[in-house]
Amino acid sequence: MIPLEYFLILSSILFVIGIVGVLTKKNAIIVLMSIEIMLNAANINFVAFATYNNDPKGYMFALFSIGIAAAEVAVGLAILLNLNRLKDTVHVDDLNSMRW
Amino acid sequence: MQIYELAWIIPLLPLVAFLIVGFLGGKMKDKGATVALVGVGSAMVLALLVAYQALTAGFDGGARYFEQSFNWVSVGGYNLDLGIYIDTVTALLLIVVSFVAALVVIYSVGYMHDQGDRRRRYYTEICLFVGVMLGLVLANNFLQLFIFWELVGLCSYLLIGFWFERPAAASAAKKAFLVTRIGDVMFMVGLIVLLTTFKTLDFHTLFDPAVIAGVDQGMLGLGLFFMFGGSIGKSAQFPLHDWLPDAMEGPTTVSALIHAATMVKAGVYLVARMFPLLIFVPNVGMFIAIIGGVTALMAATMALNSPLIKRVLAYSTISQLGYMFLSLGTGAYLFGIGMQTPDLAAAEALKVAGSIAFAAGLFHLMNHAFFKALLFLSAGSVIHYVHTEELKLMGGLRKHMKVTSTVMLIGSLSIAGIPILSGFWSKDEILSSVFNASGSTTQWVFLLLWLMGVITAFLTAFYMFRMWFMTFGGEEGEATKHATQTKGEHVGAHADEHGHAADVHEHHEAPLSMLGPLVVLAILAVGSGLVVFIGQGFSGTIWFGVAEAFSLDKILGDWLTYLSVLVAIAGITLAWLTYSKKKVDAGAIASNPSVRPFYNLLLNRYGFTKGYNFIGEKVVYGFSLAVDWFDRNVIDGIVNLISRDLIGSGKRLRKMQTGLVQSYSAVIIGGVVALIILLYVLGYVLKVI
Repeated sequence: MIPLEYFLILSSILFVIGIVGVLTKKNAIIVLMSIEIMLNAANINFVAFATYNNDPKGYMFALFSIGIAAAEVAVGLAILLNLNRLKDTVHVDDLNSMRW
Repeated sequence: MQIYELAWIIPLLPLVAFLIVGFLGGKMKDKGATVALVGVGSAMVLALLVAYQALTAGFDGGARYFEQSFNWVSVGGYNLDLGIYIDTVTALLLIVVSFVAALVVIYSVGYMHDQGDRRRRYYTEICLFVGVMLGLVLANNFLQLFIFWELVGLCSYLLIGFWFERPAAASAAKKAFLVTRIGDVMFMVGLIVLLTTFKTLDFHTLFDPAVIAGVDQGMLGLGLFFMFGGSIGKSAQFPLHDWLPDAMEGPTTVSALIHAATMVKAGVYLVARMFPLLIFVPNVGMFIAIIGGVTALMAATMALNSPLIKRVLAYSTISQLGYMFLSLGTGAYLFGIGMQTPDLAAAEALKVAGSIAFAAGLFHLMNHAFFKALLFLSAGSVIHYVHTEELKLMGGLRKHMKVTSTVMLIGSLSIAGIPILSGFWSKDEILSSVFNASGSTTQWVFLLLWLMGVITAFLTAFYMFRMWFMTFGGEEGEATKHATQTKGEHVGAHADEHGHAADVHEHHEAPLSMLGPLVVLAILAVGSGLVVFIGQGFSGTIWFGVAEAFSLDKILGDWLTYLSVLVAIAGITLAWLTYSKKKVDAGAIASNPSVRPFYNLLLNRYGFTKGYNFIGEKVVYGFSLAVDWFDRNVIDGIVNLISRDLIGSGKRLRKMQTGLVQSYSAVIIGGVVALIILLYVLGYVLKVI
């Protein structure tokens, strides 16, 4: 059996990749994708712990999380689509109208 | 059910009239005169019934007083009631206030008839004035008295400033309000001292000798001293007397009301109410007597050369109030000394003397109310006729105003103290009380006060008759001539349109509603002193501690009586020689270089007006400027500094709000990381500890 630490290291790597993507990428769609990576890092943790603790609640949460992620992406892409229509850009640095 | 159980209705009647006239008066044809008359008149009827019962039959169970009250506030061991308290002093004041007020309202119907819509305001304020004064008289504790006391002050402010568009009236009203306010603040201080000393302000507790003996006498004296400060302000005593002459800017009816029934009498009433307490601190009694004596003499001198008819009367009021305080103070002093005297016979004699002085002061209050209302209303009638207050412009009015001149002569004789007329009885009683006080206690103070009283009596007789001769006697003055001519034309022009109006003017006198009260008051000015012959006499009915029946023999056998009569006659004779016969040239004496400064000093009211203005404009205003500077620079400075810093830091901090999602998320992630590190460090530290 693969030890738990391997899963945790994998999920940490994915999570950090997601953070770096969110903080550095200028394209809003890539930012959205990075968020998905972070979510999936969390899902891996859920599943890993559920397996090792023999507790099916973790699988359930993972499924929930995947469902919610799908919904979130739908909403997020819709917003980006509209933004693109209105401002003709999906560049996050250009979306700064809510400032002082 | 006894009639006095309904006494609480008395002040409500004028107050109801106040509300009705205040809200609906504008729609009435006479602007509320009828409602005011009914309100004040019915209060008078009820007050007279209650007073009659209280003075003749007494109260149930032979009690000295009747009280109805309910608990108002009860906090931390302090008990405050609301209610009514009736004893003989209350009864006397009820008679005086309600009766004079009713006559003044009747008189007002004639006097104010040309005032148009503002009559509504006039009758509203008059009703409130009378109502609160009756409430003041009926109060059963000092706090309630104080509340009405302030309302009385408010009403006098409103009424003195009735013609507020005249700058003089507006400033006189403000002056009256502010100067009496000084006294009111002192009253309040006294109230607080008494409240902390006694834990209550109810009369029936405060007047219990056993309770009084059990408290700190020093605090008691302090409280009474400050409360007398309230009286000084309200009753225009030295050194807060200067508002009263200025208060003549109000309508004459208001002056009559303020001087005879309400306002200034409240101060005397307060001292009479404090009397059971005052006897425990005789020194405050002596202080009151000294203030009274000094005021009496000083005000009388200022009246000597006053050029305005109403101002002479104003000074005479101050002077006569001084007499009342002199008498009450002497009474409190004598009674107090009597309580400390171990020798029983001597103590009893002193107590009797104190009681007589107490009665004499209240007796003078009553008589003064009648003759002063008479004098003021007569003066109002004169002013109504000639439309000026300058004595110089009058003269020779006796021909044109037969009734007014006669009743004013009666009033003047009464105030001068000519026998049989009311002023004689009380003034003589006061002077003999003060003189006997000097004999029994071997104190030169009272001898001096007596001397001042006698001089005042002389001056009173002189200035009253100076006023009378200048108004009614001698050559016709400019204003008189002018008035008689215009009245003639007036009759001709309006005879056809207004039949009854022409009737009035044919007599060249005031209308009937003005003459009626004058005649009633004239009868009282003659006769009110004769109550000494009814039953036990005045001092046998309204007394403190010891009842003393009146005895005519004592008055007839005392040389003091003849002295005071002589002094009064001398004063009148001098006035007659000077202003009627012109044997003495007043103008020459006045312009004599050695007299001139004194003459001007009197005209300038001993510089008190200037002194008040100096205090107001320099001291108080200077202090206000300093406070203003402090407020603007220090207080506002601190507030502004704080707000400026907040705004500045906000300006800087809002730069953080970049609108860039990624910088926000960076902050959040940084925060989470920092939090995790912090938790690790904390956990490590706690583990180590």
